[in-house]
Amino acid sequence: MPWIMLGLIVVAAFGFYFLIWASVNAQLQAVKSGAIPAPPGGTGQFDEVLREIAPDRVPNFGIGLVSGIGSVMLIVFAASHVGTEFGWGTFRTLLAHGASRSGFLVSKAVSLLLYALVFMTVGSLAAIGASYTVSAIAGISAGSGVDLAEVVRVAGNSGYTFLPYMALALAIAVWSKSAGAGIAAGLVVYFAEGIVAGILVSLNKDYAQIVNWGLSRNASALTRTTTAAAGQDPSFSTLPDPTQAAIVLGLYTTIFLALAYWRLRSRDVTVGG
Amino acid sequence: MHPAEFDLSRSYARHVTEEVVLRTKGLVKRFGSITAVDGIDLEVRRGEVVGLLGPNGAGKSTTIGMVLGLITPNAGAAEVLGRDVRVRREDALAGVGAMLEVTSFYPYLSGRDNLVSVALLRGGGALARVEPLLARLGLAQRGGSKFRTYSLGMRQRLGIASTLLGDPALVILDEPANGLDPAGQREIRELIRELAGEDRGVLLASHLLYEVEQVCDRVLVIKKGKLIASGTLAEVTRGGGSYFEIVVDDKARAAQLLRGLGIEEIRETPTGLDVVADADRGAELNRALASAGLYASAIVPRASSLEDVFLELTEPEPPSASPAS
Repeated sequence: MPWIMLGLIVVAAFGFYFLIWASVNAQLQAVKSGAIPAPPGGTGQFDEVLREIAPDRVPNFGIGLVSGIGSVMLIVFAASHVGTEFGWGTFRTLLAHGASRSGFLVSKAVSLLLYALVFMTVGSLAAIGASYTVSAIAGISAGSGVDLAEVVRVAGNSGYTFLPYMALALAIAVWSKSAGAGIAAGLVVYFAEGIVAGILVSLNKDYAQIVNWGLSRNASALTRTTTAAAGQDPSFSTLPDPTQAAIVLGLYTTIFLALAYWRLRSRDVTVGG
Repeated sequence: MHPAEFDLSRSYARHVTEEVVLRTKGLVKRFGSITAVDGIDLEVRRGEVVGLLGPNGAGKSTTIGMVLGLITPNAGAAEVLGRDVRVRREDALAGVGAMLEVTSFYPYLSGRDNLVSVALLRGGGALARVEPLLARLGLAQRGGSKFRTYSLGMRQRLGIASTLLGDPALVILDEPANGLDPAGQREIRELIRELAGEDRGVLLASHLLYEVEQVCDRVLVIKKGKLIASGTLAEVTRGGGSYFEIVVDDKARAAQLLRGLGIEEIRETPTGLDVVADADRGAELNRALASAGLYASAIVPRASSLEDVFLELTEPEPPSASPAS
């Protein structure tokens, strides 16, 4: 599974870059040939989309792409990484051979952290590679090229926002002894909390005082500050301070891991565990 | 902890001089309103094989779970090589090799790699024992195959191999012969005796009574979580007494006559009667039956087998006795 996921993120990065270029280019050609009418604003918007493919846009576009797909994959991986140990009965085997429960959880958490690091690195490199490749094919100017420091900063911030979701998926997998439950809980919180928070803030900005203590708004606070589009976001002004967001996300991660440890420590491990 | 200290704790298993490798005192485990284990005391010494017997749900696996620190007892304690499992679990288990009832390994790894992963956990010289153990358990040819492709018997063999990686002083085997063919079962019996011969203590939980009879020095019988019999095989089977298998046509008259001789326990069988009496009363029974014109086709002295004793001890209680419990 870990290797497959790394392969998938590379394929996805190249695939999306090609797909975007191919579809936009096809529309441009169709407009030029008169097959379809030009959009009201002219073809400038097509050019703007194609510009996103350029290497100097990797921190915004490429890393955003990798983060969008990667977050879901890493939540799935975190829950599976622990849940399958219960499903296969290997947690029980490890304990019977003298492994400690705390050692088990620490090794899982550390390996997940390292994997997230490797995943974001491979994903970022894939996005850079895809950007250069497709730009060369499409004849798009590389501009000032890739700002590696900015790529590292944005990828680091994005990766950090995954941690509480991964910890939540891990904790639910430990409590339920099921990878499926961990995946479901992690994805539901990841998508639903963000949607609900967005709706509430759009209804009344005062709700931000409450939803800003959740996961999604703090994650947004860290990732939006890195995007040029941040200023265009109507709810941007109500997002928490990035430092506060980092602390809150760190606290959530710690709390979820502590809950997982508490449950793991106190549980009787019988057949199936 | 100093590294040297750590190494010592991981490799003491074969070097400590503790005679008793496992001792439990008053182990109790309750799951809600059900008492699964109720005050179990047991001991396993070096060089002996102790059989843990009991019907399904008697509490055998729960007892083993508490010994291994997988299950927290409500009361009592388990000591391995003198170390309390609840207090110093990792240290205590360094001297234990355990195979649980359901053998579980990583399905995507080969048998060899699964052993390597356990060996890395064990530390010490465990890694060097992987290949010899694969050979000893007859898995050398299939060591490179994925665990998920293994038959039940091969999984059991791998499970047993994993118990020996840490060169343990105490080996716990929960139903090790599950899924093995007769030849495989015999090999496992021989292996268990070899382990005892290597000065290890072995705790064997098994449903196969003939297996227990052949390899165990002592047996413990538990029922509904309570220890109801323990001792050497001779001691436990002596409790079942000796009896005579009498093949006779008129069972009713024969039974009446034998009751007149002071024999109380008489069971009817398809061919005659089983009569519980001292082994030296064979001639007396024969004479009494013959003088009453009841000629027996056979009067065979029998000693209670472990199976007889086990079935008798673990016989379900009559319904009238159940409300109190």
